[in-house]
Amino acid sequence: MRVGLVANPFSARDIRRVIANAASLQITDRANIVLRVLACLGACGVSEVVAMPERGGIRAHVERGIERARNVGDERFTPVRHLDFPVTGTVEDTRRAVRAMVAEGVAAIVVLGGDGTHRAVAMDCGRVPIACVSTGTNNAFPDHREPTVTGLATGLAVTGRVPPGIAYASNKRLLVSINGTEHHPALVDVALVAERVVGARALWRPESLREIYVTFADPSVIGLSAIAGFLEPVGRREADGLMVDIGSPAMDGAASDGSPAVRLRAPIAPGWLRTIGVHGWRRLPPRSPRIPRLRAGMIALDGEREVGFGEDDEVRIVLEPDAVRTVDVEACMDYAARNGLFRVGERRALEAASGPGG
Amino acid sequence: MTDQPFSIDRGTLLDAYRTMKTIREFEERLHVDVARGDIPGFVHLYAGEEAAATAIMLHLGDNDRIASTHRGHGHCIAKGVDVKEMMGEIRGKASGACKGKGGSMHIADLSKGMMGANGILGAGAPLACGAGLAAKRRGDGGVAISFVGDGASNQGMFLESLNLAAVWNLPVVFVVENNGYAESTSVEWAVACDSYVDRASGFGMPGVTVDGTDFFAVHEAAGEVIARAREGGGPSLLECKMYRFYGHFEGDAQTYRAQGEVENLRENHDCIKIFRAAVTGAGVISAAELDTIDAQALALVNEAVEHATAAPMPGPEDLETDVYISYA
Repeated sequence: MRVGLVANPFSARDIRRVIANAASLQITDRANIVLRVLACLGACGVSEVVAMPERGGIRAHVERGIERARNVGDERFTPVRHLDFPVTGTVEDTRRAVRAMVAEGVAAIVVLGGDGTHRAVAMDCGRVPIACVSTGTNNAFPDHREPTVTGLATGLAVTGRVPPGIAYASNKRLLVSINGTEHHPALVDVALVAERVVGARALWRPESLREIYVTFADPSVIGLSAIAGFLEPVGRREADGLMVDIGSPAMDGAASDGSPAVRLRAPIAPGWLRTIGVHGWRRLPPRSPRIPRLRAGMIALDGEREVGFGEDDEVRIVLEPDAVRTVDVEACMDYAARNGLFRVGERRALEAASGPGG
Repeated sequence: MTDQPFSIDRGTLLDAYRTMKTIREFEERLHVDVARGDIPGFVHLYAGEEAAATAIMLHLGDNDRIASTHRGHGHCIAKGVDVKEMMGEIRGKASGACKGKGGSMHIADLSKGMMGANGILGAGAPLACGAGLAAKRRGDGGVAISFVGDGASNQGMFLESLNLAAVWNLPVVFVVENNGYAESTSVEWAVACDSYVDRASGFGMPGVTVDGTDFFAVHEAAGEVIARAREGGGPSLLECKMYRFYGHFEGDAQTYRAQGEVENLRENHDCIKIFRAAVTGAGVISAAELDTIDAQALALVNEAVEHATAAPMPGPEDLETDVYISYA
């Protein structure tokens, strides 16, 4: 039984550390997360982890951790094999690695990163489920959870101890197409901004926001999904998404079409509350392409400016149901507990390791 | 609320292009002149890295100080040092910015806030702390920028400077120009903590990594960290990931580079090409306008070479001048 691993050393490095005191999880801490996940996968009997190669430092620390454990007779970590291809240090490494993992038939892919990393994985993973570990900045898609638990749930799921119908959840995505040829997915949000530069990628100035489309509108996360969530919560498992027509932060009274204007205070980055003017919002039904009102600008995917478009480009945004599968950690753990999967000696339970307390 | 394609006005974009192109032409000319044997001493070229110096310096005035590196020509030009004086200095002529006594690695112009290129790796960082402390005590709103390469970022005085700037809350920005190589050693073999943002965190200051080949990315990030320092928010570290088109020094055989590496960089990662595509693509500046600037930048560099070639060498009588400064 194989599991894939994508650990992004470059997530959580952007300007939001300066403007919003956002966290920057150190490389050594990311390596420790990988080791904790490997220990849990090992406990569940996963035989091999196939990992994305990278030169940002995580690999070196992980390999050192495994070697140190082996030197003292500790074999609790599932062995890791890094894929063999030249590292570019770009998102292409993630995409290439995921395609290779899928070709090798991994049962799931553990992802360490933020919304952007998860988006990159989702572009190529097809029906292979993602186990999400949050190490990014905004992180609306991956839950904030101790990775030990995510590792256990993943191990229980891929070894079949938790039935697939319970273990995996389906998620919506947004698909932006330009002229019917380019296609760009997003897991949480698509934002249209007036400026034409990728710049420092992150969005932290509400003045440039024009339209927001979200797969779910969660008032308990931060980022653009929070704006939508403060207007009208829409769950991850609901069929619809939400679209929001953004106005000026200084606007008051009625919008140009006569609809009432709303001004919100919303955390669009960690600790970064900004006033957002809203002309209106409405539910975004699945499979119903929308044409944006903005004629030229940048498209931000899951919080990062990525693609420009001009007045001659035809842009369509559509919400797709059941597009990405994820490990449902809470469902896995609940099932496992209720069925005695952690009780030593019970049928299908985790094997107790030899040695004191193992 | 603006729907302009760029938050930077057109005139500033034109100035930025002129600066980048002048740096490029300056360095390309030096590459040729060194090979011809026209230049005394070592030179380290900034070609390929122009967007970083240009975008950062747009946020600075003459009251703000920078401490540069051995690869300092780009910083000098972007900070406003006279190109003719620079070319004179590099050729050891009396017309040089330091009367021909400093050469490439010691070009300075205090009137422009350029405290000097620096032949000692990492040595600019404590100087920037000093300038930052002075600005803080004067209360004049000045900031200081310390440029450092990925290799020199491992020097003790750079790390001590991060600590000093953090504990004294100095208006200093540490810019790590990470071009991937410390001389011939890849950054992956030389920087233990792997991430400069991690390193900044260790000293209690925020860090940010940007694509140093994207003028707009550097401009946005630099704007935030410099404004923060200016307003009393303390020091930050800005890592610009970039590429140098030439060797560590002119004459470097570059055996540590992969075959075709430089050709790929020039084709796909040239910050000037990327800038051109952005501004012309948005319809803000025409290609013809940029072509005119190209010609003017080349003419300026040619003029600077002629000026320097015609200038006299310093005489024996200059040997003992400018050694000490009187503070009286």
